Amino acid sequence: MSAKLLEVTNLKTYFFTRSGVVKAVDDVSFAMQPGQRLGVVGESGCGKSVTALSVMRLIASPPGKIVGGEINFNGEDILEKSQVELTDIRGSKISMIFQDPMTSLNPVFNVGFQIAETVKRHRKDLSNEQAWRRAVEMLDLVRIPDAKRRAKNYPHEFSGGMRQRVMIAIALVCNPQLLIADEPTTALDVTIQAQVLELMKGLSHEFSTALMLITHDLGVVAGMCQHVNVMYAGHVVESAPVQQIFETPAHPYTVGLLQSLPRLNERRGSKLTPIKGQPPDLTNPPASCSYAPRCPKVQSRCRKERPQLMRVGRGEQEAACFYPN
Amino acid sequence: MLQFLTKRLIGLLFVILGVTFLTFIMGYFAPGDPIVQLLGQHFSPAEYLQLKRAYGLDLPWYQQYYNFLKHLVQFDFGYSYQYKNRAVWDILKDGVPISAELGLWALLIQVLVGVPLGILSALKANSWFDTTNMGVTLAIYAVPVFVLGILVQVAIVWLDQHVGFGWPAANWGTPWTYTWSDIQFKLFPILVYAATGVAYFARLARTSMLEALRQDYVRTARAKGMTERVVVYRHTFRNILLPIITYLGYTISFLVAGAFFIELIFNIPGIADITLLSIQNLDYPVIQATTILLAVVVVLGNLLADILYTVVDPRIKVA
Amino acid sequence: MDIQDQSSESASPGVMLPDTTLAPVLLTPDAVPYAIEGDRTYKKPSSPLQDSLRRLRRDKRAMVSIGVIVSFIVLALIGPPIYQHIGGPYHSNLNGVVGPSQYHSFSYQELGQNTQDQLPSAHNWLGTDEIGRDILARLMQGLLISLAVAVVVEVVDIVLGVLIGVLAGYYGGWIDQLLARFTDLMFAFPGLLFVILIAGIFGNWADTNLSKIPLVGPNGNARLLLVSVALAFTTWPLMARYVRGQTLQLKEQQFIEAARSSGTSSWGIITHHIIPNLFSLVIVVATLDISNTIIGEAGISFLGLGVQAPGSSIGLMIFAGSHFVDTHPWEVLVPCCALAAIVLAFSFLGDGLRDAFDPKSKD
Repeated sequence: MSAKLLEVTNLKTYFFTRSGVVKAVDDVSFAMQPGQRLGVVGESGCGKSVTALSVMRLIASPPGKIVGGEINFNGEDILEKSQVELTDIRGSKISMIFQDPMTSLNPVFNVGFQIAETVKRHRKDLSNEQAWRRAVEMLDLVRIPDAKRRAKNYPHEFSGGMRQRVMIAIALVCNPQLLIADEPTTALDVTIQAQVLELMKGLSHEFSTALMLITHDLGVVAGMCQHVNVMYAGHVVESAPVQQIFETPAHPYTVGLLQSLPRLNERRGSKLTPIKGQPPDLTNPPASCSYAPRCPKVQSRCRKERPQLMRVGRGEQEAACFYPN
Repeated sequence: MLQFLTKRLIGLLFVILGVTFLTFIMGYFAPGDPIVQLLGQHFSPAEYLQLKRAYGLDLPWYQQYYNFLKHLVQFDFGYSYQYKNRAVWDILKDGVPISAELGLWALLIQVLVGVPLGILSALKANSWFDTTNMGVTLAIYAVPVFVLGILVQVAIVWLDQHVGFGWPAANWGTPWTYTWSDIQFKLFPILVYAATGVAYFARLARTSMLEALRQDYVRTARAKGMTERVVVYRHTFRNILLPIITYLGYTISFLVAGAFFIELIFNIPGIADITLLSIQNLDYPVIQATTILLAVVVVLGNLLADILYTVVDPRIKVA
Repeated sequence: MDIQDQSSESASPGVMLPDTTLAPVLLTPDAVPYAIEGDRTYKKPSSPLQDSLRRLRRDKRAMVSIGVIVSFIVLALIGPPIYQHIGGPYHSNLNGVVGPSQYHSFSYQELGQNTQDQLPSAHNWLGTDEIGRDILARLMQGLLISLAVAVVVEVVDIVLGVLIGVLAGYYGGWIDQLLARFTDLMFAFPGLLFVILIAGIFGNWADTNLSKIPLVGPNGNARLLLVSVALAFTTWPLMARYVRGQTLQLKEQQFIEAARSSGTSSWGIITHHIIPNLFSLVIVVATLDISNTIIGEAGISFLGLGVQAPGSSIGLMIFAGSHFVDTHPWEVLVPCCALAAIVLAFSFLGDGLRDAFDPKSKD
């Protein structure tokens, strides 16, 4: 096994609120190779964003807290690092882009400044002009037309898709080893989505940047990722290469997700098949399998113990289920 | 920008016109006949008419208004009714620097003390500093300025009697000079005058800061690896300036209103004090002059705030 | 004022207090813990109004403020008649034998070494002022005046403010322009300055002419009507601006579109859809306006332009007492504390109401 870029082991991130302790991420483990494109899929509230924010140590400290586990990046545990070291890592080794490009950019600074600011922060050897030039280069790279002039424009003068490209420019300008993208295209039009995703894929490939793509949309994952983690109720329930997720899904939840996707070739008038039930209460996770209340194949053992990720079949597929497909 | 300025200046002109018209109307419809007042008990009808003509008060109202405006534009405020040979400006000119000094210091303190206090409070949200700050500022804000003024006076007098504090509880020193004696006269009135504004700016800055810290772009800045210091001072600061500048316009109105109380309580011979006296004496030219002066100050202040606003926020289209 | 319009659209702090305790809502997960099916306890559906009232009940400071306000109202209304029946007959040096209905009234004065500037005693529960008048009686009368003025001004404020604000916001056009220019003018004339001018210039006229109106009477209250009118005149434009802003927001919402497409007339929309949704905004602004009105009336009386002797107003009491700060501080401290208490109470209440109606502000 080549040296892993990112290795998350038994990560637990809890939120201590007035109505109880929300166990948003409850024992999550996974790893990423350099340059790998990993998709993290799951519904709202499953913990995928919180996992990403935990890796960046951007969890708001009250009320959230990383209570356990290890996050090894390039062999060093991020959870042991000081605040200063973290600010050195963020933006230069690990970058993150967020869901809503409308609000993620500061409205009072022009986009060139916001990119150049990152450069100047991590490359103190560069002058202002050099940083600015680098910013314009990046704008060009993310295919903003007329980059030199538009660098002086403010965020409100760009469309949603272009703002997300600016975010990508900011994230990639210092050539990070890992780019975490939290639902980057959810807020965009479908046609723009495709363009932005293509851009991300191309840049990730060109600069060998590992990409952790978080989304609830399985379709996005299909075109973009090499490996997929499926998350539910705060932990990973299935982890497999993308081909296998779609062709031989092992965990009943993954099966349910795939079944609920409407297909182009379905008969007209046929009903959608959603997954019955509701996601569980994260303040009181039961000792059973968290999917048990909704699982069509539930057995008595499922209600008593929580399954860990186990290898399924041959190859790299793992599922947290006692009775996988 | 030029277009914007001209548009606003025209708006300003209309407002000032409105103000002058209102003050003129008030004087016109005011009860009491100033000519009778001037002449006293015994006079002949001929004297009456003569004086009326001399003051231009026998003309129709629109002509009176026109004359009024004509004189205003030349900065001629006319002559006082009370002090027959003194020009209104002569009466006012001593009060202007005093009120200006009072007001300017209060404004400075409000912004330079209130805003940092609020920002600090937000950064230490829910700490003891924050809770005491919010409690104190709410109490100060809610208490009317004249009550605060009186209480401070009571305190000064009490301290003087029991501890030999020795500071004066009234009157003003020399305008715009700052010897130790001057400071003793001026410090407390200015502090009381500024108090309400400090409280409001502190609370406003705190709320705006907390709001700004919640924003997504702050999360982005942190994700870029910016230190907390940069995040706070660069990324949020510009964004909280907007509501602060907006309120700057309002606070000038409140300062003008507050001047009446502060100058009365602390016996400071400023413009508001002069206005109160002339109201008692029904000296309309003086009343009109001070009203217009004060209204102009408020309007100009608001205009300045508007201009600052466009400078700070690139989203405001200036065209 | 175009720029101000943009920012006041969302009722941003004009003269309103900013949020008191806006705790930062930091990065929280989008996890919304649901109860497991079948485990859910049935909650009776409650309207937003009931939710708000429940939130208000939990706000201790607001509840205490309501208590304070109610006590002051009760004090002002039934205090005087009760007080005037407490205490036995009293031998005054100058006025013969007087009963409590006289010496506990707010205008009875008695000059003399033993009757002026007294500290609280069994005879005069809060002492007497510089001409021997009972301070408690004057305080109660002053409170009554403050509350009466507040009520009058608020009624006008709400009626005019809502009417004009809704019309300006809903129809726009010339009404809106007029409102905008008018409020610009009112801002240029700092509110109090206007009231001072009106009260000062027309005060004497009011004294002679308005005393004839019943209820107002010759107690030096004639000017009060004038002051109330002037205060109302300066208060309603701000309410109208807030209402206009809210109306503009409401107008764009889909339920209005739905109502319109189902055939509801404009007037129907205004009365059934827009006005009920203004309720929370109007209540909050009105409460804070009451606070300002009470301060305004006290201030005007303080300057000598409002209630005149023998009438009583808190502002008048403060002014009178302010001359004896070095010898008899009690006389100025009592009305100051009373005024501070009532104004604080209304401010806290306004804050609490705002937090109760706006669920975003607190957890």
